[in-house]
Amino acid sequence: MRATNMKKINLKTQLLLAAMVAVAMLFTVSAQAAAPGITGTTFALTAAANYLNQPDGQAVYSWGYGCTTAPPAASFAPAGLTKTGFCNTMQVPGPTLIVTEGQTVQVTLTNGLPAAAGNTSILFPGFQVSTTGGVTGLLTQEAAPGSTVVYSFVASSPGTRSYYSGTQSDLQVEMGLYGAIIVLPAASKVPANCTAGALAGSTHIGFSGANGTAENFWHENDFRLAPAAYDHPDTCYDREYLFQFAEMDPNIHTQALAQVTATTGCTAGAAGCSLNVPTEPYHPAYFLINGRSMPDDMDPNYASEYPHQPYNGDPHMHPGELTLIRVIGQGRWQHPFHEHGNHVRILARDGNLIVSSSTLTYAGTTTPVQALAGPLQFTTTTTPGLAFDGIFYWTAKGLNWDAYGHNPTSKNPSATLPCTPDGNGYNTGAPTAINYYEWCQDHNKPVQAAPFGDVNGGGPATLPDPNLFTNGPWYGGSPYLGPDATTRATGCTAPGTQANGPNGTQAGAQCGQTGSTPPSGTIANSPSSEAGFAFMWHSHNEREITTNNIFPGGMLMMMLVDSREYQIDETN
Amino acid sequence: MRKPYQVWMPILLVAFQTVAASAQSFRVQCPTNTITHPDTTPAQLVNSAEPAYSGPTSLLMGPSGFLIPDPAAKNANGAIKCQQISGGDGYSTMGDGTQTYMFSFGPLSGLADIAKGLPGTQFPSVFNTVPTRTLSPGDPATTDGPFTSSSFPLDPSTFTFSYNGAVGLAKDVPNLVTIYDIVEIGNTVYVQTNAPLGLKNGDPVVISGTGLAYDGTRMVATANYTFPTAGVPGVTNYGFAAVNNFTFTLSTASNLADVNTSQTATAAIPAGYDGHVDPRPIMDVGVMNGNIPAPLMAIDEDDEFFLTLTNVGMIMRPDLFEQHTVHFHGYPNASSFYDGVPDASVAINIGASFTYYYLAPDAGTYFWHCHITPPEHLQMGMVGQLYVRPRQNRVPTTMTLYQGLSAQQTDLRTKCDSTTDILCSNPLPIGGDNSVAGGFTATGPTKMFAYNDGDGSTQYDVEYPIQIHGFDPNFHFVGMTFNPEGFSDMKDKYFLLNGRSYPDTVTVGPLATVSTDGSQHFSQPLSAIINIPAGKRALLRISDLDVTEYQTLASLGIPMQVVGYNAKLLRDQAGNNLYYTTNSITLGGGESLDVILDATGYTAGQVFYLYTPNLDHLSNDAENFGGLMTEVRIN
Repeated sequence: MRATNMKKINLKTQLLLAAMVAVAMLFTVSAQAAAPGITGTTFALTAAANYLNQPDGQAVYSWGYGCTTAPPAASFAPAGLTKTGFCNTMQVPGPTLIVTEGQTVQVTLTNGLPAAAGNTSILFPGFQVSTTGGVTGLLTQEAAPGSTVVYSFVASSPGTRSYYSGTQSDLQVEMGLYGAIIVLPAASKVPANCTAGALAGSTHIGFSGANGTAENFWHENDFRLAPAAYDHPDTCYDREYLFQFAEMDPNIHTQALAQVTATTGCTAGAAGCSLNVPTEPYHPAYFLINGRSMPDDMDPNYASEYPHQPYNGDPHMHPGELTLIRVIGQGRWQHPFHEHGNHVRILARDGNLIVSSSTLTYAGTTTPVQALAGPLQFTTTTTPGLAFDGIFYWTAKGLNWDAYGHNPTSKNPSATLPCTPDGNGYNTGAPTAINYYEWCQDHNKPVQAAPFGDVNGGGPATLPDPNLFTNGPWYGGSPYLGPDATTRATGCTAPGTQANGPNGTQAGAQCGQTGSTPPSGTIANSPSSEAGFAFMWHSHNEREITTNNIFPGGMLMMMLVDSREYQIDETN
Repeated sequence: MRKPYQVWMPILLVAFQTVAASAQSFRVQCPTNTITHPDTTPAQLVNSAEPAYSGPTSLLMGPSGFLIPDPAAKNANGAIKCQQISGGDGYSTMGDGTQTYMFSFGPLSGLADIAKGLPGTQFPSVFNTVPTRTLSPGDPATTDGPFTSSSFPLDPSTFTFSYNGAVGLAKDVPNLVTIYDIVEIGNTVYVQTNAPLGLKNGDPVVISGTGLAYDGTRMVATANYTFPTAGVPGVTNYGFAAVNNFTFTLSTASNLADVNTSQTATAAIPAGYDGHVDPRPIMDVGVMNGNIPAPLMAIDEDDEFFLTLTNVGMIMRPDLFEQHTVHFHGYPNASSFYDGVPDASVAINIGASFTYYYLAPDAGTYFWHCHITPPEHLQMGMVGQLYVRPRQNRVPTTMTLYQGLSAQQTDLRTKCDSTTDILCSNPLPIGGDNSVAGGFTATGPTKMFAYNDGDGSTQYDVEYPIQIHGFDPNFHFVGMTFNPEGFSDMKDKYFLLNGRSYPDTVTVGPLATVSTDGSQHFSQPLSAIINIPAGKRALLRISDLDVTEYQTLASLGIPMQVVGYNAKLLRDQAGNNLYYTTNSITLGGGESLDVILDATGYTAGQVFYLYTPNLDHLSNDAENFGGLMTEVRIN
């Protein structure tokens, strides 16, 4: 990367970007995501125009679905977001509609677009939709400017699906008329092994039983929409996120605005009251996750800076938590979405669970069911119009060194925590311990040959001189996970607590040294409060991790694995 | 555009850094033994060979509070592997003859193997050796050349350059510390030093300057010695940390007098190969030696892998102070420290080395690349291939593959149980033991497999790593100049298999490019010809590193059996194989896939094409024939 590495952009915009990135960094310290949306069975949506904020300082004219009237606070989900949630009359992506399997869902669409934009509509792929009112369109009944149309369907099966405009889609979807619908399993069909309390003796990795105990101890709330993604015992999860990928060609938006402005006040249907915006050739310059470009996507849900882009992309998780990711391709391009840190088990496509012809009896259950057969992927394709659900988790298994930097000779109690392996090799017996879900086979095993701080030495690698590094804003300050381990590894501990001082009576000879990069510069993953392991989740069509030719930006977010003592709070 | 924090970070570091740090710049790391791979034999070669796999490594709780391989069982699986690469720049030759500027990695170990299209990954017994002659800029091409345009194709079997060790490796100066106190009780000498020497039991240590008969080269009896609290007579400060203390046996003298706080007494490790390097050969060989694909890496499950990245700088772009990193793409449960993402970890400055450390993950086809400004550094060529061979290759002939996979279930690290772990990828095959025997003998594997399938279904005879990539010549030209680059209009015009476009893909041996230093370099060492003996099976390890668009590769002839995807066996949770047969596969950037071509029923001399049906990608910039195509030859 280099200072000159950008297309022509005026200085004012550069400074604005710099300021915005800096501000965004401050916000990212505590912002987390969930899969927020509005619940109910009857929704009133309006398609309208407004401006989307981009990190290069641009406000891009767009169209989006919003709420015709503000929904009551209680309808915002998950419950922790009821205080902050809002649904303006236009947003991109449209409101995430959260419904329950078996319910009859009714969506009333009002066309609030400029008259010249003509009719609009919504398609709900995967459902048998019946319509009331509106005018006949190519793919479905449409709402004429100022008018409404009603769509009804039964939420027949659980899963994540997309909805989007079925009218002049090449323009209207590009302009932002898309959203997500999440169908939760009916309460009667949630697998028994997924509900808290049923898991005391479960030997399955993850699940909310013991993880729920840990969350309670660390004062974390449950931000799941449901205990399971599907009516299947291997789809239980502990945490969830929704990511909608789309790209945007600013030339199309500029032309649409120019033509809408030129036809202001025209009568719908009258001669000349129409748009003729070319959608080819297509040169997208903005690459969006949930309507935002990095780093804006890591600001909070419902942040006031983005009145029309309420949803973020800022995943956090603890080791061993099964994290459900709901991903939709909403643009016209495919984007290879690379999840650093582990593979994703694909559960389903467009709400259709992928299962084997053979059965399995899962841990914690007694009845054999059809086994899952979706692939494991480290790069998941976001295909236009396609939604997938997948489960991801991270543990330190296989590192061959203790990610918590435990040191059995230390006098610091948290450096000498025990690790008792369960049937899968993880420390799950003590859900309130910092090292809950530690991989025990590597317990106490050092990473580096020469000791530093209060972390044991003797391992295979030797960490180099910190002067040789440039460190990043999400670097936790040490190779270790969590503020406790990082402080022990890099900090100056109190006299008598450092094992490698003579007689253990003085501060260690290495007090104040880090042996690694000084953490003083990290600003998005504080060594003293978070010190998570940060992993980049991004489009691997790498040119898409730019915002209007500026790197970094676009389809990029940092996923943080946080040790247990860091509280993940999805409310802000 | 540089992110503001990346502009300010170095300044902040300078401003706030008050920490004294030991001087290091270039270095390599390749221990002959580790916790996981102990070696108590004098030859120190146990970890330079792959042993048979008949069951998990027996672990027991060691004296330091962590699990170690049971010394009595002597069944530590896997070995130690090391590799060194340079991060810098270079030139490559496109199918139309154009020389393209690259930001790139080049080999700094395994030079002879890389020139033959083999992985540059080496055992310590090879890595820790020094060349018998001085290395020249451009080597191995300089030694094996010079080449003229009529020299190609080159026959690697005629190459005389044979050095595969770590470029630059040099004996370190003795590591010397002062002795605080030295005393002999009976015939045991107790030594306290003022700083740790990093000794192990059995290491030689040179004592000098004591003025008594202590002086000489001694063998450490007990390293990291802890004095009993009551002290040893004559030892005045028994409380030194154990790392400062050691003992040795001196039978030629007894009860020598205590020497305390001497001004001259020292203990030293003799000069040896310990990772210290001489920067001159590194700069000679490493500058402008960029390869596309970047150096090939291959390791086996249970191996410990030490990959040293040495940043030699980019000669053509002196205005840049580019860091580089290595991202091991697809590694599960990676630590962010070694994940190579500069935002989340550390990036390696020019003039420095960093050693990445991993225990090999599950078998599969992975790949690696620099993660600095990915749209730029990947487009510019910093992309390489990496695969992990399965434990199943090491199952002895006396066991069935199913028994080998069953044995893996007895180690929690290697077990795969679909009923408890949603990311388990290769459960036992549903059909049970089909009695296919392993093929590992004393001389090595006779059967090779893509994955731990337990049923032999991924067996292959020959393997070919195939990397799909694309170069945008405009971006590369701008990248060589000092002008700003645009990302959104990036448009590839050269479409590459292993860094070559047709017809270069079917040229055997390395391609050489004369660089701006006037030397020839093996810029594209890996041919893309797929030779399959009739009746045999070829594994194609296909990875796509293109940064702009999806790519399709089709087989005109032998159908492609897809057995693995994204470094995982295609098998459902119940153990049914989900392989499928197709004549084309499509990958996005950042994906990999394993394909088996079965030449059963084909005859020697047949030639088929592997090409892209994205027909506009069958071009070399302005030439309308070439691009993403190669040949499958039955022989």
